[in-house]
Amino acid sequence: MTRFHQTFSFDGTPVACTDNETIASALDRAGIRVLGPGQNDCAGRYFCGIGACQACVVSVDGTRMEACLTPARAGLFVQRIGSGAS
Amino acid sequence: MSAEVLVIGGGPAGASAALHLARAGLHVTLCEQGPRLGGALHRQPDDPAQRIRVPRAQSQRWRALSTALEASSVQILCRHMFAGIEGGGTVLLEDRASGRLVTRRPAALVLALGAVERVTPLPGWQLPGVTTVGGLQVMMKSTGQAPDGDVLVAGSGPLLLALAAQMAALGKAPVAVLERSPKLVSPSVIASLITAPAYLREASHYLLALARAGALPQHGTWVRAISPRDGRLAVTIVDRHGRDRELVVDRVALHDGLLPNQNGTAAPSNGPFVVRAGDCREVLGGVAAMADGRHAAKAVLAHLGRSTEAEPSATRVLSRERRAQAAINALYDYSGADPAWLPDETVICRCEGRTLGQLRDLLASSDPVSAREIKLNGRFGMGACQGRFCAEWVAAFIAAQRDGEPPAVSEIIGSRWPVKPVPISAFVTLPPSRPSE
Repeated sequence: MTRFHQTFSFDGTPVACTDNETIASALDRAGIRVLGPGQNDCAGRYFCGIGACQACVVSVDGTRMEACLTPARAGLFVQRIGSGAS
Repeated sequence: MSAEVLVIGGGPAGASAALHLARAGLHVTLCEQGPRLGGALHRQPDDPAQRIRVPRAQSQRWRALSTALEASSVQILCRHMFAGIEGGGTVLLEDRASGRLVTRRPAALVLALGAVERVTPLPGWQLPGVTTVGGLQVMMKSTGQAPDGDVLVAGSGPLLLALAAQMAALGKAPVAVLERSPKLVSPSVIASLITAPAYLREASHYLLALARAGALPQHGTWVRAISPRDGRLAVTIVDRHGRDRELVVDRVALHDGLLPNQNGTAAPSNGPFVVRAGDCREVLGGVAAMADGRHAAKAVLAHLGRSTEAEPSATRVLSRERRAQAAINALYDYSGADPAWLPDETVICRCEGRTLGQLRDLLASSDPVSAREIKLNGRFGMGACQGRFCAEWVAAFIAAQRDGEPPAVSEIIGSRWPVKPVPISAFVTLPPSRPSE
C-alpha cells in the first residue's frame, strides 16, 4: 500500500495525495474547502462529486478541470481559478 | 468490422448496455468521464484495501458485470467526457488525458448519464463545506474513510439514510440526520415492497446501524439557513413543532431526491440513433439500470436490423423496480422550502451567485419577462452548471410570482452542445482527431 508519498502543488502549497485519488479528495483531506474565489460570493467548492455542478473546477496544469473527476498526481500544478495566472 | 456503437457512462446502465451489445457481435466503445468505471452507485475505492461496506448483493452485481465486461471485446475509454452531439450529427468527446477533442460518427449512441441530485435552495447552500449527500457519499466510497469533522445530513430521501449509516459503520455517525418528511415506514409501504425485499433489508440494516449510533433520522425537521461562523457552519434547524434551534457543524450534506441527467442531450435529427438507459431515462436505481441497459442494447440491435430476443426478465425487473421506487418515494417529501418565505439574499444560481432578490426584481417589472430574458439578462441558468442546479427553482419562482403557468425547465436550460464546458484549447490547439474506422 502506497500512501502520501507524493505531492502536487495547489496555489504553490504542496498537498499530499495517495494513488488513484482525485484532486478534490486530496484537497479535502488537507482541510482546503475553498477551491476558488468564484463569482459574487459563491466560492469554488466541492459539491456534487460527479462533475455535474462545475463548482470544483480548478486549473490543472493550465486547463480547467473538475477537481472531483481529475486524478491527483505527483507534480501537478493546480491553481484556484481567478487567483493569479492560470 | 461492424459499425461502432458508442456508450456514454460507465455506471451500471452503460456497462450493461455495452456488454450486451458486444455479446451480439457489435464493435462497442464505452466512455466514462471519471478515472474508473462504476458510476456513483458502484464507485470503486482508490485503495482496494480500504472500501466501505455496501450491501453484499449490490457489490456482487457490479463484480459480475465488470468481470464480464473485462472479458468482453468492449473498448473502454476512461476520462473521456461526452461533450454533446453537434449539429451535423457528430458525437464530441473530450479526452481529458490528452486535452484533445475526439469526434465519432457511431451507428448508434447509448446515453447512460445517470442521475443528478436535486437540492432545494436555502440561504447558505452555496457555502464551501455544504455538499450534496451523494457528493459526500462518493467521496467516502472513494477514500474508504468517513469525512472528518461534524457532519449534518438534511433534506429528504433514502440516500440520507444510506450515507448516515455508512458513516456510522465507519465509527463516525453524523451529528444529526434531518428528514423533512414526517412519515415513518408504514405497513402499506412494506406491503408494496414485498416483491423487492432487498430494499426492506437494506433499510433495516441502515436503521439498526443508526439506532446503535444514536443518530436515527429526526422526522419532520429541516434546515432553514446556513451561515459561516469561525470557519464552521452555523445551521438553523426547524423542528417538527416549528421551533428553531442552532447547530454548529463542519459540513452539511443536502439532498431532495434525484432527477434524470438529461441536460443538452436532445439528439439532432441527422445525428446517430440515440437510446437512453438507466437513471438518465427514468430514476429507478441500480438494479433497474442494469436491466435497462439490456433494453437499450436490444433497441440498438433492432435499429441495426439485427435479430433480437425478447427480454422478458429485464421488463419484469423494470416494472418491479418502478413499483418499489414509487412506494419508497411516497414516504419522502421532496418539496423543499416554500419559495415565498425565502429571503432575498438566498442564492439561486450557485455558479454566479445570482440571488432570489435579483430574480424577484426582474419579475416585478411591468412587462412580462420570458424565460429566455431571465436567462440572458438575469443570467439565471447561464452559469457553468448550465442550469442543472437552478432551472427547476427559477421556473418555480416565476410561477409563484406571477400565479401563472411556469415556463418549461427546458426553456431556461435550452438544449445544445456542449453538454458541459469544454476548454477552447480542446478545439483549437490541435485539429480534432478522427480515429480510423
